[in-house]
Amino acid sequence: MAQIPNLDNAPLNFTSLRDQSQKELINILKNIRGRKCLVIDPKLGGSISSIVQTSLLKAILNSSCYFFWFVSPEAKKQEHGVELRHLTADPIQTECTKVVYLVRSQIDLMKFICSHIHNDISKGLQREYFVYFVPRRAVVCEKILEEEKVHHLLNIGEYPLYAIPLDEDVLSFELDLAYKDCLVDGDTTSLWHIAKAIHELEFSFGLIPNVRAKGKASVRVADILNRMQAEEPVNASDVTVQHFCSLSKIFIQNRSQLLRINNGAVELDSSIMGVQQDGKKIKVPLNSSDKLFKETRDLNFEVVVQVRPLAAICIVTAGSTSKSNLHEAGLHGDVNYLQSQTVSELKDFVRKLNSLPEMTRHINLAQHLSTYTSKPAFLGRLDMEHTIVEAQSYDMRELLHSYGFEHMATLNNLEKAGLLKKQESKGNWLTVKRALQLVVDDTDTANPNDISYVFSGYAPLSIRLVQHAIRSGWRPIEDILKLLPGPHSETKRSGFASSPSFDSLPGAPHTADKVGGGRRSLVLVVFIGGVTFAEISALRFLSAQEGMAYDLVVGTTKIVSGHTLTEAFVENLG
Amino acid sequence: MTAVSVAAEWQQLYDRYYRKPELYQLRWNHVDLSRNKVACSPFGGPIAAIRDDSKIVQLRSESALRKLRIFTSAGAQISETVWKNPGGRLIGMSWTEDQTLICITQDGTVYRYNLHAQLIEPNLSMGKECFENSVVECVFWGNGVVCVNEAFQVFCISDFKNPRAVRMAETGIEDFPLCVAVIEPQYTMSGNVEVLLGVGDHVMLVEEDGVQQVGAGVGPLQKMVVSRNGRYLASFTHDGRLLVMSTDFSNIIFEYNCESALPPEQLSWCGMDSVLLYWDDMLLMVGPFGEPVRYLYDEPIILIPECDGVRILSNTSMEFLQRVPDSTVSIFRIGSTQPAALLYDALDHFDRRSAKADENLRLIRSSLPEAVEACIDAAGHEFDISRQRTLLRAASYGQAFCSHFQRDRIQEMSKTLRVLNAVRNQEIGVPLSIQQYKLLTPSVLIGRLINAHQHLVALRISEYLGLNQEVVIMHWACSKITASLAIPDISLLEILLDKLKLCKGISYATVAAHADKTGRRKLAAMLIEHEPRSSKQVPLLLSIGEEDTALTKTIECGDTDLVYLVLFHIWQKRPSLEFFGTIQARPLGRDLFISYARCYKHEFLKDFFLSTGQLQEVAFLLWKESWEVAKNPMASKGSPLHGPRIKLIEKAQSLFSETKEHVFESRAADEHAKLLRMQHELEVSTKQPIFVDSSISDTIRTCIVLGNHRAAVKVKTEFKVSEKRWYWLKVFALATIRDWDALEKFSKEKRPPIDPRERAEAYARIGMAKEAADAASQAKDGELLGRLKLTFAQNAAASSIFDTLRDRLSFQGVS
Repeated sequence: MAQIPNLDNAPLNFTSLRDQSQKELINILKNIRGRKCLVIDPKLGGSISSIVQTSLLKAILNSSCYFFWFVSPEAKKQEHGVELRHLTADPIQTECTKVVYLVRSQIDLMKFICSHIHNDISKGLQREYFVYFVPRRAVVCEKILEEEKVHHLLNIGEYPLYAIPLDEDVLSFELDLAYKDCLVDGDTTSLWHIAKAIHELEFSFGLIPNVRAKGKASVRVADILNRMQAEEPVNASDVTVQHFCSLSKIFIQNRSQLLRINNGAVELDSSIMGVQQDGKKIKVPLNSSDKLFKETRDLNFEVVVQVRPLAAICIVTAGSTSKSNLHEAGLHGDVNYLQSQTVSELKDFVRKLNSLPEMTRHINLAQHLSTYTSKPAFLGRLDMEHTIVEAQSYDMRELLHSYGFEHMATLNNLEKAGLLKKQESKGNWLTVKRALQLVVDDTDTANPNDISYVFSGYAPLSIRLVQHAIRSGWRPIEDILKLLPGPHSETKRSGFASSPSFDSLPGAPHTADKVGGGRRSLVLVVFIGGVTFAEISALRFLSAQEGMAYDLVVGTTKIVSGHTLTEAFVENLG
Repeated sequence: MTAVSVAAEWQQLYDRYYRKPELYQLRWNHVDLSRNKVACSPFGGPIAAIRDDSKIVQLRSESALRKLRIFTSAGAQISETVWKNPGGRLIGMSWTEDQTLICITQDGTVYRYNLHAQLIEPNLSMGKECFENSVVECVFWGNGVVCVNEAFQVFCISDFKNPRAVRMAETGIEDFPLCVAVIEPQYTMSGNVEVLLGVGDHVMLVEEDGVQQVGAGVGPLQKMVVSRNGRYLASFTHDGRLLVMSTDFSNIIFEYNCESALPPEQLSWCGMDSVLLYWDDMLLMVGPFGEPVRYLYDEPIILIPECDGVRILSNTSMEFLQRVPDSTVSIFRIGSTQPAALLYDALDHFDRRSAKADENLRLIRSSLPEAVEACIDAAGHEFDISRQRTLLRAASYGQAFCSHFQRDRIQEMSKTLRVLNAVRNQEIGVPLSIQQYKLLTPSVLIGRLINAHQHLVALRISEYLGLNQEVVIMHWACSKITASLAIPDISLLEILLDKLKLCKGISYATVAAHADKTGRRKLAAMLIEHEPRSSKQVPLLLSIGEEDTALTKTIECGDTDLVYLVLFHIWQKRPSLEFFGTIQARPLGRDLFISYARCYKHEFLKDFFLSTGQLQEVAFLLWKESWEVAKNPMASKGSPLHGPRIKLIEKAQSLFSETKEHVFESRAADEHAKLLRMQHELEVSTKQPIFVDSSISDTIRTCIVLGNHRAAVKVKTEFKVSEKRWYWLKVFALATIRDWDALEKFSKEKRPPIDPRERAEAYARIGMAKEAADAASQAKDGELLGRLKLTFAQNAAASSIFDTLRDRLSFQGVS
């Protein structure tokens, strides 16, 4: 089962990017001779699973948690086996004398490493420790290691993994906590990392000449990016990416996700897949490698029904996991409707058809989804999430009474992040909504021409902004941008070797932007704080429009849903 | 100058011609080579001279002070210093490849000087054996040296870049060797240096790990010298013969009987073609065939071997003895009818407007390209500028009649010659031949020029050749700082910036670091301002004590890693309170520090919050600690440890109440403490450790489930739980324990404030299909019914109930 996304048709050469990351990782492991135990922090493990090839990675699913045991074929011969563990507070149980930690440079992970080593020392175990920080060493982490008096025992290195291609046009910086770190803790490390990731991209693909940003964090990233350019200039000679738009999350919309699609794969109980392995979880890839998924993912619900009345409906249910923005009520209605009428019949029907294996997979998924969504507990959770995020009339005291005082810290976090404040004025929103045509009443679903199609009538603000930014820059919508929170910025950049002919053609952007060979030039749209699958769909829709001069590539700190977004803020005191 | 007069200066050795143009009239005064120890660096490098202390000093003729003086090849003094080093007599002196002067004294101390006669610390030593037994002989090569001491032990430093004295294998000889030579490591099989010692009638080959006897019977040898490529050995035997052999002693290449049996003072290779022998006033050049050439000198000379000849230094001049290149011979040899000679002649006729020019050209038409090439090549080998010009003009003249000739050859050669002429200039004094220049490479030449503080010419050359100017400007800036102690910071900064801006991407931090090292901290600080790379700027700012600037810079640049670097630095240096003040003023610094301290430095963080008046934050910390107390494995539930825990919460509560903005938190903490107390009491009374740390709702539920309704009501009133919630909790709890009687009683007690829909869901959640269905139908909600049915999908009986009910509902809807 192919785990890593197929990037053959990517508008940017993502394959080389991924190959580089693969090679670096394998080199790190190869350079440590002998048998070793690799300890990965679990979040990072997820990220890495989407860059390391299946042939190098043998996934054995375990009952308690999933962890991989991967041995490269040649390494096996040389007995350079790797044992793989997840980083937790529990001490490492291994026969290996070499322990390699691969961790994000996060403060809280250090205490695990320290406690492991202290534990080994107390048991009189002599081991060699290697710590590889992703994406780079951090003074603060090393400080902690020093204070815990283990620093001198470690061989420290770095694994510069800044960006991971999740799909042909989606790049993730894998900064799950970016949003929380910035807003709650004021820790802007992630912004530096985003800028660094983009700057690294520039080294591969050329300087991006136009940078537009909206939102405080975005403007800061654009600023850091410019500083990096001043410090380590990228040549402007080879321009592949024309525009770079950065958007920090401006509004948090309540997004729900039924299954958590993490790193382009869903994790499911194997029983759902009709496999006789009890209690084990299987990763089911859901990305462009899956043809059917690719086709249906971005289509609007209604159209799919029209095009392929029977088979497709099931897919839509699966696909709707990616379309988190379908209105809540609508979604449930649809799912219920589908479930009660068609899923079981369809399953039989499709079996008879002996259709693609993917099809069965999706039907299984669909069925699972509808049972799941119909459970009252799920709806209860939805309500709760909804309430926490909107918090418009909810009494926080009630929350504490029902869920315990340990949630005090979560509330405090949410408040700091500005998520618990009531909207002060609704006036702006209406103006913005009107000016940017965020709500379109008459969407022609059979022949769509506006992004609002993806959302059945609602054009997400973020995508509208991108649309404007690409078309004409910020200037024409300056007044509206001022109504939205956070500053905005627009920079034209040129490297040392910028060709004068390029600069002298500002009036003819379309001719200049066309890169030779009929290939359209690129726009990198970066969402800081995360992007939803639905927003990506809308961008793809935008990119597929006739008369669109650009391919769009999405960069994001993480693909989010309402759940993952709020999850970051949950901090139990207890 | 006509062709005839050129060739008149040549000497013939068999079929080869040699010439000896004068490079410079030396600019020095009163330097007598015979009274000095002299070290000359190859590739037109500097000359070091110091009075030879083995010779008698003429009273009053010179100062009693012994001075080490360093000159250019043109004899212009670069620097001097008084030699007052201990260690006995100076035995060996030589220049390394990077133009460091190595001086080795009797006791084995190695003194190193730079071009400016400044001693490079620390001094090295050849080892204690050399200290005990004086060094007698030193033989240098490129970057290494071999010493022999009185005990006939051999020592070696094979690379002065990584100076480490190694003792070679024990020779076992009993007399001092007659002569010593070395084969450079790059030419030996082992890759280590091989030392040749002339002992008795044979030669000892000494390596680090072994000695072997070679060339038995060739000697006794009085003098030996190895050729530049390490393949041949020229030696002078005790009976006055010059012997040239291969270095493996397998065959004798040629032999020449000299008139004198007295060994020559100097023996040297001239390129690869001939060997020079120098006695008192005669220089003899011997080749494999033909009669040797004799040159007479009435003053002492020193032979400086180069790759393509020998430079001859005398008291008054610097000459270059070189085999005349073939191209030059073809043009200038008397009576030459080579095409190149005819082309050169044609130019002469052309200049004199003689028609013979055309005739000449016609004669050589077919071989014109070779003729042009020869003229260009010959121009390259010329030291005389006017002759270079004439030759290039001849080439250019011929090229005009060539249809296919690489046209950039002339341009390229002109470029090279411009560089060569620039450095050969008396003022610079680097007499490189074109071959030496190519071997040395332009970048090394520039390095040497910089080293000699010839920054301007170095800059111009690198600019002219399109090389990176950063090296030059950087070195200039650092030298300027060192040399400008009298110039005030501001004006020096201006001078520096004016030049530094010429080069994009230059490291200001490096210059600033140099300024700091020379004690100009203020200048350093001003220079760092201009460094664009924060990662270089910040550590330097810290090292010069500009912590606050460093903090501001890192915060601007957004690299949080650097911010931490600065924060920890300041934290270590300053008292806590001052540190708090520093970070409080900078939000990013403060937030990062808090993030760090939250994980590992609770107490310190508390101090910080207290000192900055953020009482609520302290309260949150205390509250958090209260859970940690609970998690302590020593604290089992219901133990007296709840005392300290509650105290912590109460302390948090009182801190919250200090400010008006945290009424909610204060009340929450108050309620939390109250709840814990009640839960504690409940655990004591029920003897069941299931209450502590559950929420208020859960506590009420647990009470009801345990049948302790009084306690439940008590909790309800204490925390003013709303009627709605109370109802919900009670229904839920009663349903869980299936106490239908109580549930029915409760539902009749008063009008339920709860929606039947919710009740239906409560039933469904605990798996009671019928009750759920009833409640749902009561609510008249078909959608809910449908959804609940799903929950009981596996239960056929339950499903049918739902179906019936739904049918009934829809029927009602129609009617």
